[in-house]
Amino acid sequence: MADDAATTEDAPLEQAPATDERRDAVVAELTELLGDAVVDSLVKPGLGIWVRVATDAWSETAEVARHRMGFRFFDFLSAIDWLPSPYGRYEDAAIEVEFPPPMPDRADAVPGYTGGDTRFQVLASVAKPGTDLRLLLKADVPDDDLRIGTWTRTYVGAAWHERETHEMFGITFEGNPDLRHIYLPSDFEGHPLRKEFPLLARVIKPWPGIVDVEPMPGEADDAEGDEDA
Amino acid sequence: MGLVESGKMPKPLTKLLNLSRKYSVWAYQWGLACCAIEMGAAFASPRYDVMRLGVIPFPASPRQADLVIISGTVTDKIVPAIRRLYEQMPDPKYVISMGSCANTGGPYWDSYSVTKGVDQVIPVDVYVPGCPPRPEALIEGIALLQARIQNEDMAARWKGEQGQEPIVVG
Repeated sequence: MADDAATTEDAPLEQAPATDERRDAVVAELTELLGDAVVDSLVKPGLGIWVRVATDAWSETAEVARHRMGFRFFDFLSAIDWLPSPYGRYEDAAIEVEFPPPMPDRADAVPGYTGGDTRFQVLASVAKPGTDLRLLLKADVPDDDLRIGTWTRTYVGAAWHERETHEMFGITFEGNPDLRHIYLPSDFEGHPLRKEFPLLARVIKPWPGIVDVEPMPGEADDAEGDEDA
Repeated sequence: MGLVESGKMPKPLTKLLNLSRKYSVWAYQWGLACCAIEMGAAFASPRYDVMRLGVIPFPASPRQADLVIISGTVTDKIVPAIRRLYEQMPDPKYVISMGSCANTGGPYWDSYSVTKGVDQVIPVDVYVPGCPPRPEALIEGIALLQARIQNEDMAARWKGEQGQEPIVVG
């Protein structure tokens, strides 16, 4: 979703209106219903709505979005780890990857739309059937206590998404009755979608795809030229 | 079966039995990912049609199967099920590992959840490389396996002494 928006930002649609009353109205209604719990919001005209809410209001936000505002369709729920990857891009790395790598500074993280103060954020997307309105909701998860309220009381379908987020990021959803692993074996250790989770195969073996890269047509291949001379 | 166990099978009888086994291979389908589509094409479509080779792809359970085709990505979570499937099959039993994922992990070589080759869990008789392999490749693997079955020494197989190298298609 953020990717789409970024692409559009680079090449704005000609038809995109300067303001979007319908989406502004959604934000206004949500702010009225939730009060101070709305921390920040962003409306991209014709595209989407991003709203960041307070951690304590996460469950209540779902309740309001579904029952008071008609966002009855639950799309997905997941999380983001904003820590920069300690491994860099494996594809660019030299053969020797230092392991374990030095942890990057949390301050280097670039927060996404509507900002953020913590390493982990949960995000969820809901939609209003019969319209093209979608609402992307975010909330910070405190660094020292990775807990946040559950959405399962409002959207039953969120249960599996919360199980996945729990095993992949280690975030606990309070009130979710069944946070067993869903994709990983039950004795799996670690949280694979955290940035510091090592892909051991890549530590042992450099990225094999790099040897397949051919020079672009027209690019001078210096080494080969020297051999010819 | 006393003859087989003692290794005193007359040669013509061995040949006859092997011929029968070769042309009635009951193949259990273990489709785990996109390779299963190619396996389906090889098995069910009139264009390829493995039944003309005497391969019957409809055993009701692994207990009726002679051959299992592991086609697709093997994850750590499904490994216990594959192990149990293999143990349920009666001897003599054969395994075809179809596609890059089942062979080595393939494009998921660095994944946290994918098993790097089904041969870490069960012995493999035929490797069919490809991502995914075309149905012809799978059929070639089956044909090579049938050729091996034809020349098998049943007594050695029965005693588990047959230490043959696995077949690699292509």
